[in-house]
Amino acid sequence: MRRSAGLILALSIALSAPAHAQTKDSLVVDLPGDVATMDPQIQWDTDSYSVYRNIFDNLLTRDTAGKIVPQVATAWRYTNDTTIVFDIRSDILFHDGSKLTPEDVVFSVKRITTPEFKSPQLSQFDQIIAAEVSGPSQVTLHTKTPYPALLAQLVKLSIIPKAYVEKVGDTAFNQQVIGSGPFKLKSWQRGVQTNLEANDAYWRGKPTFKTVTFRAVPDGATRLADLRTGRADLTRGLTPDDAVAMKSERGLKVQSVATERVAYLFVNALFGPTKDVRVRQAIAMAIDRDTLINALQQGYAKPVDIVLTPANFGYVTDIKAWPFDPARARALIKSAGAEGATVPFLTSPVYDRRLNEAVQQMLDDVGLKMTITVVDQPTYLKRRLGQPEESGSMSQGRWSCACQDADGVIFPLFRSGSAWSKFTNATFDAEVDAARATLDETKRMAHYHKAFEILHDEVPGIGLFQDEAIYLMKPNLQWQPTANEAFFVYDMKWAN
Amino acid sequence: MGQLSSHLASRLGQALLASFGVLTIVFFIMRLSGDPTLLLVPEGATVEQINQLRHQLGFDRPLGLQFLSYLGDLARFDLGQSLVQRAPVLGIVAERIPYTVALAAGALVVALGIGIPAGIAMALWRGSLLERALSGFVLAGQSLPTFWSGILLILLFGVTLGWLPTSGADSLSALVMPSIALGAVTMSSFARMTRIAVLDELQSSYVTAARARGQSRLQAVRRHVLRNAAIPVVTIAALEVGNLLAGAVIVESVFAWPGIGQLAIQSIQSRDFLVVQAVVLFVSLVYVLTNLAADLAYAAIDPRIRAAR
Repeated sequence: MRRSAGLILALSIALSAPAHAQTKDSLVVDLPGDVATMDPQIQWDTDSYSVYRNIFDNLLTRDTAGKIVPQVATAWRYTNDTTIVFDIRSDILFHDGSKLTPEDVVFSVKRITTPEFKSPQLSQFDQIIAAEVSGPSQVTLHTKTPYPALLAQLVKLSIIPKAYVEKVGDTAFNQQVIGSGPFKLKSWQRGVQTNLEANDAYWRGKPTFKTVTFRAVPDGATRLADLRTGRADLTRGLTPDDAVAMKSERGLKVQSVATERVAYLFVNALFGPTKDVRVRQAIAMAIDRDTLINALQQGYAKPVDIVLTPANFGYVTDIKAWPFDPARARALIKSAGAEGATVPFLTSPVYDRRLNEAVQQMLDDVGLKMTITVVDQPTYLKRRLGQPEESGSMSQGRWSCACQDADGVIFPLFRSGSAWSKFTNATFDAEVDAARATLDETKRMAHYHKAFEILHDEVPGIGLFQDEAIYLMKPNLQWQPTANEAFFVYDMKWAN
Repeated sequence: MGQLSSHLASRLGQALLASFGVLTIVFFIMRLSGDPTLLLVPEGATVEQINQLRHQLGFDRPLGLQFLSYLGDLARFDLGQSLVQRAPVLGIVAERIPYTVALAAGALVVALGIGIPAGIAMALWRGSLLERALSGFVLAGQSLPTFWSGILLILLFGVTLGWLPTSGADSLSALVMPSIALGAVTMSSFARMTRIAVLDELQSSYVTAARARGQSRLQAVRRHVLRNAAIPVVTIAALEVGNLLAGAVIVESVFAWPGIGQLAIQSIQSRDFLVVQAVVLFVSLVYVLTNLAADLAYAAIDPRIRAAR
């Protein structure tokens, strides 16, 4: 029975038309993975949102410069520190023709913040304690405490149609989503591809592409081959080495953008040889940032002096990294009595192996013995988020909060009590707490400045570089990738 | 006939027991190395938020309890819901099966279509230049790892020559390269096995008798040798199905072929337990059942085995 079903399928796929790239009004995108869920309130992984965010509008969005600008909400104002009022557009239609109303906005907020819905994204929105329709085209949100990252989080809130979701239920909605965005879901073959078609009635104007196809192609080399043969027009997730190789490829264009993702080294301040601040400072001076950027990243990275990127609010420019100074590092390690000490480095295959080995070499040069332990990603996370004794003395990471705010970076990484933090400092805690409790940007900057001073001296982590997202595309595709790695096809077009 | 059905029943029982054992091992190994909660939450979630989600997903329950409730669902043929995709596991796995079946069939066509004639030729023209050329070919098929030969095929036939699509599953031509990549190793096994079996049989007295009756060597091979040489080859074929399923994991990823193998990788990486378990269940059943089928096939090929039963 199964065998005959297979034959029928094999025959039917043989007969269906192949998806050729390069028709003027279509776009074919190769993504490393398939969409996990079409429902925008369940998954926030890059492959999923690269697709579904083209189907939905968000309450707010960011312009190419990274500034938060209106989308479904036209304007907003705080009535007090914990209450914010949004004016909602009244000319937006969902793909089924129904009007997007303030009720839909409130429903979208309430659904994702209901614990029983089990959204993994809950932590991004759980500061919102109430949402209500407060006027014919107005929505009011209430937060637990003053919450400066609220607007940055709402950039990720897709507005879903209340009536439709309630009618068909969550499971059916996930299969056949309806949004108000520039593209409609035409078909979704799990594991294979997703086909979108233009929403000609889109309120911001008709999209350039009539159809968009997102294909799931897990192997990097295969994605490159697809681009080279014209089977796909655009792909993301290139390694710097791929980018260098593809630069000489005629008929293709490499485009990169500095993202909000920061590459950093974690240094355990609570356990092992790195408990001694002198050892941590010595490690900071043993790391040759420029070599890492030039040799491993092929220049596709910008050095940072702190564990944050300039794409984030809270970035301070006047705190400098420890200089690369192996001699001083060696002396400091000697004075700490840590010569030859073993520094366990915990990592997983997700992270660049070469960076681990480069750091190992650099620490070896100053008299530390770094041992690398590779475990699978879930085990790595379990140990890294576990007790200080099990998380190793060091590890590397690439952190993005998808909120472009220091609060989403140094708070979880270094605030005592946070799962990632292996560092305790009461003054630091007070500064980051204060920075998240006020909406005043000047005050917040002052708090972050002090917080970064402490991080510089105490070295519970070492900022390495601002990561770049690298895309490969047809040379006539016009698109400016953004720091938040959004993937809005509406902003892309063919040059003539 | 009664003997045959009791034989069949006992083999089926063993098959189910083996599948259950595999499933149990996978269930516990997957869970002992960490649950998916940490992969699901965004970076920066607090300990409370992580624990809350873990509780909602039921991963804070004792392992034994989780296992019992899983078995309970399984007994009702309920494979559960995927944590990551929030869709029924049965549907997710069933959608992928036809692709893997098509790929395995393609690979078998390559393996049988090339391997058996090559094996026969190597036996018949033993020591010739042809045999040496063919054994080089067979050796290459066996030694090239598929993740590498796959990329080479793509570069040659997809990028340089432009004859075949580089990836995907949207046409029959897209099946060609993955079938070759996957079928290569199996092809080598068939060629070697066929060569040995045919060589053995060529020395039998019935071949001499056939030649004495005036049949040519090829006629003797076609009429008598092949049938006798088929028995060891059928055994290999059954075992090779297991190899094909294992190889599919890599080949499907390289060629973006959306079958069970690719699903296995994805669901293991995302710790989508129920999907992994369903894939394992399916693969172990297929493996055990093909071995059973091979067992029954001997009887069809060789009357002596039929008589013995």
